Amino acid sequence: MKKNKKRKLIGIYLFLIIFLILALLPYFWLVLTSFKTRVDAFAIPPKVFFKATLSNYREAFLDKGFLMNLKNSIIIMLATVGIGLGLGLPSAYAFSRFKTGKDSLLLNYLLGTRFTPVVVLALPLYLLMSKVHLLDSFVGIVIAHIAFNLPFVIWMMKGFFDAIPKEIDEAARVDGYSWFKVFLRIDVPLAKSGLAATAVFCAINSWNEFLMALILTGRHTATMPVGIPGLLTPQGTIWGQIAAVGTIITIPVLIFAVLVQKHMIAGMTMGAVK
Amino acid sequence: MFKRKRKLQNYTHLAVAFHLPAFLTLTVITLGPLLYTLKISFYDYKISSSGSEDVFVGLKNYINMFHDMEFVNSMAKTFLFMLCAVVLEVILGVVLAMALNSITRFRKLFTSLTLIPMMVAPLIIGLMFSFFLNPQFGLYVWLVDTLHLPLPTVLTDSPVLAMIVVILMDVWEWSPYLGLVFLAGLQSISGEYYEAAKVDGASSAQIFQYVTLPLMKPVLVVGILLRAMETFKEFDKPFILTGGGPGNATEVIDIFTYRQAFVSFNFSYAAAICVVLFIILQLCGMMYQKFVMGGEEE
Repeated sequence: MKKNKKRKLIGIYLFLIIFLILALLPYFWLVLTSFKTRVDAFAIPPKVFFKATLSNYREAFLDKGFLMNLKNSIIIMLATVGIGLGLGLPSAYAFSRFKTGKDSLLLNYLLGTRFTPVVVLALPLYLLMSKVHLLDSFVGIVIAHIAFNLPFVIWMMKGFFDAIPKEIDEAARVDGYSWFKVFLRIDVPLAKSGLAATAVFCAINSWNEFLMALILTGRHTATMPVGIPGLLTPQGTIWGQIAAVGTIITIPVLIFAVLVQKHMIAGMTMGAVK
Repeated sequence: MFKRKRKLQNYTHLAVAFHLPAFLTLTVITLGPLLYTLKISFYDYKISSSGSEDVFVGLKNYINMFHDMEFVNSMAKTFLFMLCAVVLEVILGVVLAMALNSITRFRKLFTSLTLIPMMVAPLIIGLMFSFFLNPQFGLYVWLVDTLHLPLPTVLTDSPVLAMIVVILMDVWEWSPYLGLVFLAGLQSISGEYYEAAKVDGASSAQIFQYVTLPLMKPVLVVGILLRAMETFKEFDKPFILTGGGPGNATEVIDIFTYRQAFVSFNFSYAAAICVVLFIILQLCGMMYQKFVMGGEEE
């Protein structure tokens, strides 16, 4: 009986290890390719050991101008996170503390925005922005990213504010704090780990986003994902450089994802699974 | 006594003040544009026109949809993709969750690593699969050749195989996520149920069928609905891997709509499709709210 159980456990570990190898292998390969010369990238059989080169990074970021795409991605991400949190935090706080009869209606409205396909919002935003000359501007793409991230910020932060005991507010109120001061000086600092997780989620959403950026940005504001199809030219695909840009897009995401993994599932189900 | 008093306090003014910035912004940047989409879906919209020349065409754009075989095709492709991807993801997710739930050593490490695929940009996932499947230097071709596997080497040239690859990309990206969602569900099941079932002499298959599955139903519903809605919005991965091809074999509805709007510049027609998509997803969203949020907001 005991032996049987042990065998079963080994089988489970084996399954998990194979699963993880399959899950991580393509990414591993992308990173390897980014450090390969053209010859090594095309070598058969594939080379796992080779002389690493940074030429793909140099060519993509310095010669092809991906440094500008990187800068654009960072600007758009920071603006989205900053404005998204600035607008979303008070609302999330109100859902947690100032309950009214209209709350469920408002929450459903937020959820409805979240369920809207990107392309459905991208089309009118494109047409309207072309009228007011906001295409290929940071304002335009940041507006689009906020549209999708704001409902998310409110939903997620509501949960974190709910976790703070209301007695703390009462104490501060007795001390003569205004509600705005209680919110800003007491509850926001208390929710800071949740705040960090929310900010990271927003940042990743904006950083990874492709379709909106493809439609609304242009030569001056293109983000890194938008620049990638430009490397898939009819004359041939520059795989090494694509891999380099792909690696640079992915590494910060992985680092941040590990930092907030505790809140991951709650964030991605809009709080339905804790 | 104190609690009662607090409940009686009227927070309406405060609530309005705190909600106003967010909801005003959302109304301007989402509700407004969505209503604009609804409007132009009834017009023959030309982007160069100043607006006054647009011709009102009534339901013409909506009626065209049903005569447009490409639209019908892409809807069918989307549902096929959704069905296959969600079924595979749920099965793999349940297996992964049960595996993770039955180990104690290294569980944290395994869970952390499992998170990676879903955090990588979908566009990059499409690229990684292009790399992997590349007929000239891809790892896949080499594997098939060296191991003499009875598999085709060029996948994106055949309509059926391309669709399978598009489905597998999604499965690759999202099964781990469902695994973690389901794991959260499994861990909330009290051990007493299992004890009781064991005392009654239930086999492990019976325990799975009569204890685990029914108790996991809420998380299963959450996972299935969320994935169904997300797969309906698929764009990045097939866009970069197959571009909707070969032909329009993998042209899911978002790629089709994108093409109508930004390649063919049929804005009104695209707008009508957007309205239909919006309605479908809001209906799914309502279902999600009913199943998931129902009873929580009291």
